Amino acid sequence: MKKSLKRMALALAVVLILSAGFACKSKEQGGNGETTGDKLKVALVLPGKKDDVSFNQAMFLALDSYAEANKDKIDLKVVENMYEVADIEPALIDFASQDYDVVFGHGFQFMEPIVKIAPKYENTMFLLGTGYKTVDNSAVYDVHLEAGGYLMGVVAGLATETNKVGVIGGADASETFRGHEGFKAGAKSVNPEVTIEEVYTGDWTDTVGAKEAAIGMYDAGVDVIWHSGDGIGLGVVQAAKEKDKICLGNVADQNTLAPDNVMTGIVYNWVTVIENIFNDINAGKFKGREESERFYWITIENGGIIYAPIIDPKGMLTEEDKAKIEEVYQGIKAGTVEMPEIDEPKN
Amino acid sequence: MWNEIFSLTFLTSLLAATIRLATPILYAALGQIFTQKAGILNLGVEGTMIVSAMAAFTVSYFSGSLWLGFISAIVVGVLWSSIMAWLSNTMNAVQVIAGIGLNILGAGVASYVYRIIFGVRTLPPQIDPFPVVELPLLSKIPVIGPVLFCNNVPTYIAFLLIPVSWFLMERTTFGLRVKMVGEHPRASDAKGIHVTLIRNIAVLIGGACAGAAGAYMSTAYMNLFTDNLVQGQGFMAVAVVIFSKFRPGWALVGSLVFGFSNALQMRLQAIGAGIPNQLLLMLPYIVTIFALISTSRKAEMPSAYTKPYVRMER
Repeated sequence: MKKSLKRMALALAVVLILSAGFACKSKEQGGNGETTGDKLKVALVLPGKKDDVSFNQAMFLALDSYAEANKDKIDLKVVENMYEVADIEPALIDFASQDYDVVFGHGFQFMEPIVKIAPKYENTMFLLGTGYKTVDNSAVYDVHLEAGGYLMGVVAGLATETNKVGVIGGADASETFRGHEGFKAGAKSVNPEVTIEEVYTGDWTDTVGAKEAAIGMYDAGVDVIWHSGDGIGLGVVQAAKEKDKICLGNVADQNTLAPDNVMTGIVYNWVTVIENIFNDINAGKFKGREESERFYWITIENGGIIYAPIIDPKGMLTEEDKAKIEEVYQGIKAGTVEMPEIDEPKN
Repeated sequence: MWNEIFSLTFLTSLLAATIRLATPILYAALGQIFTQKAGILNLGVEGTMIVSAMAAFTVSYFSGSLWLGFISAIVVGVLWSSIMAWLSNTMNAVQVIAGIGLNILGAGVASYVYRIIFGVRTLPPQIDPFPVVELPLLSKIPVIGPVLFCNNVPTYIAFLLIPVSWFLMERTTFGLRVKMVGEHPRASDAKGIHVTLIRNIAVLIGGACAGAAGAYMSTAYMNLFTDNLVQGQGFMAVAVVIFSKFRPGWALVGSLVFGFSNALQMRLQAIGAGIPNQLLLMLPYIVTIFALISTSRKAEMPSAYTKPYVRMER
């Protein structure tokens, strides 16, 4: 018995060490480890993978290119797949206690951990990707997705031939919720008769669930769906391809995934926001601000949100429709389009 | 809302989705019937599925052959579960811990290998998944046709495996031996049955089926691989086995119950049933728990369930 116990322990140890090794390797990539001199030590903690063709990738590419352009000033480390709140807190503490100067928590689920940890590490500046709570040494960067959603709603409302459109998102929180409400308002604004179906898969990575939800909608007669990003987007695009219907993208132009089915989409551009953040940090203006000033937005107005070129494979849009879409876009930009009041659920 | 629910298109779409969502669970559950009946609780099904899903996608992507991908996934499933077989039958490890360890390892290995092979791309690599094959005549029957006879080949195979595994379990000496080593390994040993060998084979059968389930996810259900492609179907399969009391036919029922409730909650959300989406998302799991409560009290577990067999021990 003793011998078998020993062997068993050994076997388990091997498995655990292997899994720990693989887990670390798959999560921590990029960065040069050691920092040098007076470079800013910056960490980007992503809830998903940096190649998700969506929310995470947009931020990764923007910050990576900024760091590349400012090689002498910034040392960037990227961590992926920090999705669970239970993993996030220790990760943030880790970076803060390693004297990182700036830590980006790229997602709504980082809000509570940051608010909790930031006061204990005053020398580290924390940035939260979407959310509403801040402390002195933290700030929020966010997407004005209600405007983007509104624009997509206008596209869907104009394009639909069955008068049924759909929207699929991860969870009804923060920018996703605001985007969905904007989408509904936009669709109703150009097509008051339109029926809108809405599904939250409950999880931003649920590709399978999102595909199933999209198939359900298409079967029920919906002909245009907008998805609000992340892994679920891939599921919606695939459903559109199989059912040969139309979908609208989010975050990055997804037309190449299904050229006959992706009509257009919102494209985020984080570069301006990142520049603003680092300008404030370098000027020493990051801390000591009023709560209302701790926000960086990408909006249609500041060019942070644009829409991908309209490709109309099924001929569902007339020239007037396209002109109308551009008009709404310019209207939002000029502030002449009235945005709906959205009551974001806060708890 | 109600006339939408009771329309024929809604019903057809709902039932077709039920089959789609039930298939991976069915695959994995059929294999686990053998594994568990032999007395091994393998909680590493989820990990086996994710590794095989990655293997199926990668091989299909580079070879262009979906079937080669499917077979590789089965091979990888067998290889991966051989770790479990070694841990549980040779090392006599605590099966629950070994299974959970292999899940974590599987998730890590799958995303690590995928990243090494494909790197970081602006667009994820995709394949053309298994096409839908409409069976002649049968597919023209209203409702039943589009639900049962308009599926891809891996789905048909899953359904064919039900009678096959029933036959193997109930009508062959091998099936009898599997049950014996699960019930009374010592007596089986005295009878001259190689307990470790039979148990190993039972675990590998489970691995092969989990491999097919993984291949279904990445090359039949979806056309790509993501880290979160397998979301609990492996664990659901373990639950389905207990629900079914180790009977292949009932494993189908269990898988369908889960598939149905999952497909239903998506559609209720979409048509705006006025129920909070968080509650609807819980539906499949609530149904599963109730199904388990109602049946598993009477479930007769193998007497040597999760107990390692050591010849020299009393």
